[in-house]
Amino acid sequence: MEQNLQHILVFKTNIKTEADRQTVKKLLDNHACIRQWNVDLHDIDCVLRIVSPRLSTAEAIALVNRHGYECSELL
Amino acid sequence: MRTRNAGKELLVKQRAMEMLVADGFEGFSVNKLAKACDISVATLYIYYKDKDDLITKIGMEEGKYMTSVVFRDFDPEMSFAEGLRKQWENRFAWMMQKPTSSLFLESLRSSSYGETVFKCMTDNFKEMMEQFTKNAVRRGEINKMSLEAFWATAFAPLYTLVRFHNEGRSIGGKPFTMSSKVLWETFDVVLKGLAK
Repeated sequence: MEQNLQHILVFKTNIKTEADRQTVKKLLDNHACIRQWNVDLHDIDCVLRIVSPRLSTAEAIALVNRHGYECSELL
Repeated sequence: MRTRNAGKELLVKQRAMEMLVADGFEGFSVNKLAKACDISVATLYIYYKDKDDLITKIGMEEGKYMTSVVFRDFDPEMSFAEGLRKQWENRFAWMMQKPTSSLFLESLRSSSYGETVFKCMTDNFKEMMEQFTKNAVRRGEINKMSLEAFWATAFAPLYTLVRFHNEGRSIGGKPFTMSSKVLWETFDVVLKGLAK
């Protein structure tokens, strides 16, 4: 399925393990603005990828930070 | 504004396949690929969800392309000799034109990605080839045999020749380059072996 590229946000995080992933899962799964998300646990940057037509980069960073994880825009 | 760049996408696909063929699946990462392509990691993550998604998507695209080449101008209603010749011609052309892709798909076959990637291809493949061999049996051109016996006889010799060619050596390290003489001489023996 072709996704709107403008709706994809990618971040460098320290969501490193499956346990970390489970911690953010609840928060991201239930967020009304987030259509889809995943973390690449195999990658050195532990990239968090969010598909959302409405969420801004700053909002996403604040959301993850609030739950104790580092999150910065991946450039 | 983010836009798709077809040239960049092609480069990413080609480099990814080269790296996966050379270093295997374990050592591969999206970060390494981004460096090799001289593009940002973020760009890759816009297109692909993660490493698994990237490998699976590229595999499916290459597999789809391979199927289209293999069945180009092929009709399961063709006579056995004509149809098999066309298959050899197409498979050989594809392997020569896309050597990296060919090696990549071969390594995918035995990997954990194999099932997902080949699931969408095999149905079409099986159906066409089953129809083709059924017709040949019905017309009395070949004997009925298992799919494995058929494939091992009909195509494995071709793949062995291409492997020799890719390695530049045949038995005992003898230098080897594929020629159409060797190709069709082998084909004739295969056809003779299968034909009733």
